[in-house]
Amino acid sequence: MLASISAATLAGAVGRPVSVEVHVSNGLPGFTIVGLPDAAVRESRDRVRAALLSSGLPWPLRRVTVNLAPSGVRKAGAGLDLAIAVGVLVATAQLPPGCTEGLTFCGELGLNGSLRHVPGMIALADATAPLGLVVPLCDAREAALVRGAAVHGVSSLGELAQVLRGQGAWPATPIVENPPALSHDPDLADVRGQPFGRHALEVAAAGRHHLLMVGPPGSGKTMLAERLPGLLPALTPEESLVVTRVHSAAGCLPSDGALISRPPFRVPHHSSSIVALVGGGSWSFRPGEISLATHGVLFLDELGEFPVGVLEALRQPLEEGVIRVSRAGGTVTFPARFLLVAAMNPCPCGEGVFEGACTCTVADRARYTRRLSAPLLDRFDLVVPLSRPDPDQLLDGPPGETSALAGARVAAARCRASARTSTPGRSGAGTGADDPPMHPDGSRLLASKLRDGQLTARGLHKVARVARTVADLVGSEQVHEEHVSDALCLRTARTRVAP
Amino acid sequence: MSGNLPEEAFAAALASVPQVGPSALRALLARDTPSAAWARSSFAGDVARIWQRHEEKGIEVCWRGGPGYPDRLGGDPEAPAVLFCRGDPSVVDRHPTVALVGTRSPTRYGIGVAAQFGADLAAVGVSVVSGLALGIDGAAHEGATASGAPPIAVVAGGLDDPYPRRHERLWARVAEQGAVYSESPAGVRTERWRFPVRNRLLAMLSDLVVVVESRHGGGSMHTVEAAAARGIPVGAVPGSIRSPTSEGTNALLAEGCFPVCAVADILTALSLAGVVLPPPPKPAAGGAPDPVDLGADRSLLEALSSDPVSLDTLARRTGMAIPALCGGLERLARAGVARDVGGWWERT
Repeated sequence: MLASISAATLAGAVGRPVSVEVHVSNGLPGFTIVGLPDAAVRESRDRVRAALLSSGLPWPLRRVTVNLAPSGVRKAGAGLDLAIAVGVLVATAQLPPGCTEGLTFCGELGLNGSLRHVPGMIALADATAPLGLVVPLCDAREAALVRGAAVHGVSSLGELAQVLRGQGAWPATPIVENPPALSHDPDLADVRGQPFGRHALEVAAAGRHHLLMVGPPGSGKTMLAERLPGLLPALTPEESLVVTRVHSAAGCLPSDGALISRPPFRVPHHSSSIVALVGGGSWSFRPGEISLATHGVLFLDELGEFPVGVLEALRQPLEEGVIRVSRAGGTVTFPARFLLVAAMNPCPCGEGVFEGACTCTVADRARYTRRLSAPLLDRFDLVVPLSRPDPDQLLDGPPGETSALAGARVAAARCRASARTSTPGRSGAGTGADDPPMHPDGSRLLASKLRDGQLTARGLHKVARVARTVADLVGSEQVHEEHVSDALCLRTARTRVAP
Repeated sequence: MSGNLPEEAFAAALASVPQVGPSALRALLARDTPSAAWARSSFAGDVARIWQRHEEKGIEVCWRGGPGYPDRLGGDPEAPAVLFCRGDPSVVDRHPTVALVGTRSPTRYGIGVAAQFGADLAAVGVSVVSGLALGIDGAAHEGATASGAPPIAVVAGGLDDPYPRRHERLWARVAEQGAVYSESPAGVRTERWRFPVRNRLLAMLSDLVVVVESRHGGGSMHTVEAAAARGIPVGAVPGSIRSPTSEGTNALLAEGCFPVCAVADILTALSLAGVVLPPPPKPAAGGAPDPVDLGADRSLLEALSSDPVSLDTLARRTGMAIPALCGGLERLARAGVARDVGGWWERT
């Protein structure tokens, strides 16, 4: 007796269809699973057997062989439990043949026959189209985000068996309504003073320019960075799906089951490993922090404390917008189009170079900045110095402008940019074809900087792009001298952290 | 074998014996020539190899009483018996000398002052003496090697091993234009205890000592003590009472060292100390540059000072928006009256 059930497993942030073949034959009673199962899949033998018995379904005292096809690809996770159990039921004629036609099964079984949550449901649902999809009830909302009415949520194996026998209807799947994109991000109005830091934040948000803030402790670097997502416009439907899919694959989707509609903000600690940041893992590929920050903000606080290897691993995804993670088990591609914001002290003691309070030796300072390679520093279009706010302003100053006002300017600037070119804020050296139109007085200033050796050819291109964003923010059609000098000011702290 | 080796070889060999300290070496060479002293004492050591090492690296060796030994050191009872030098050993006798010393982790103020004094002193024909350490020492020599009187350096370790590494190029430049002295033979690593010894020699070679910036109890105080013991005048550059790097110099001023606010103060102190100054160089023709028309940016320039200030501070002082501020600063920078220091702005 043979049954073939369709299912899916997760490889990185994408699902892979898997065919679960169950064969029941005469012979010594036993239960084997072949087809490169990982430990969790191999242990499903015991879960499936217990779940069947708890659901009042007899276990065949015969030889049961399960094959997971394609057999050359490693399968991970407990999401195949449900398909194996259904296969056993069909193969032992407890369910009518043909009742699983046009259905895919994904779910983990509890020993009592209940169905449990499986991570990455969005990717699994994608991979199983156009078949109907049977999932645990708790995952139904998530799967319905991409598959709508084709999703059937069930709560237990017994319930499913009844439906498949034709003794009941599918339970109703809760309808997901996407709530309006409410921003819960902290507001820029909390920041007093810091006009320069605010300005830098706005330019970074408008042009997707990577931002490095250099300043002593207490200069508001973290506070400003936390307010950057609030300036970004809400995610487009496509972006929203990409972000939700990655979060689903990482198993860190909020439980309301709605699409993520606000740009994510991720803050990995500086002790994070390369794998934690870029993604990976030995068999199951988990998306890293840079993928979870996709279409949002990745904030690296204390940039100077990150291990050099971790920082260098960021260079390629910063350039390409994706990260390819390769292991012996295969290669997966995760999205990694994030806005990088970093903060660091000007020196190890943090007191800076000017106040005279710095107790670091020249060698200490050199060691601190040596971690930042020139290529990595080049990825930051904006390198801005921050200083501690004036105490009077901090205590009695008026509250700053709100995120809503600044966010409106950012959205308007982005509109102008996208009306002009299809790839706003693209990083990397350009061919010159997408260089913004520049007024002669702006070009003259850039040329003089280039001649004085204050700018390199690469730096010139970056300043020109930042100047374009500045011009967009104020609604100027052409890039003028004042926009270029603004862009130059926004990278002046480079000299302080350049190795 | 010893017949064809010069006296310098034996002087270097004696200085290379580990168990002979500075005072023992002085005693050994008090009466005898180096070769006689070597023959009299029964130290083990390959004189030829030691000499070869010094010759290969171009290190001059001179001993007290021998040829080339600086006249300045002749009268000092604590002067090193054997002196190693890269460059011309007698160069220190040709010009008045001023030591510019200070902390290894200075502020920008200290670096700026040291570099300016170094350049100005060299330009009027005064040799700048310093220790080639990081910070003030290095800045003084960076200024002094630009042009003018030969720079003099005194280092702690062997002359075949530039220390700190970062100053390797500066070493070569000082050795080429002036001289680098050391009491340590080639092959000796720079060890901690050698710095006070170095600082003493530094004071002996100088007509005047100026401390630019120093923390309380910093290494420069060794130089000051050695100078005070020899009656060499000591000056100090006043600093902010809030800056830890000026604690030492401000304390020196309180104790009666003369304040140094300009190169003219150093030159006055030199002539008071009886040093004959070289005639001042002729002023360059042309006079002061024409004042630039700054227009509306003048008020912005007035908000700037010689201490760097942040853009936030400037925005508060002038009430200008950041983009307008950036434009104004850029124009001031182009006019040469302001400059940016890692994102802060100052008047030039």
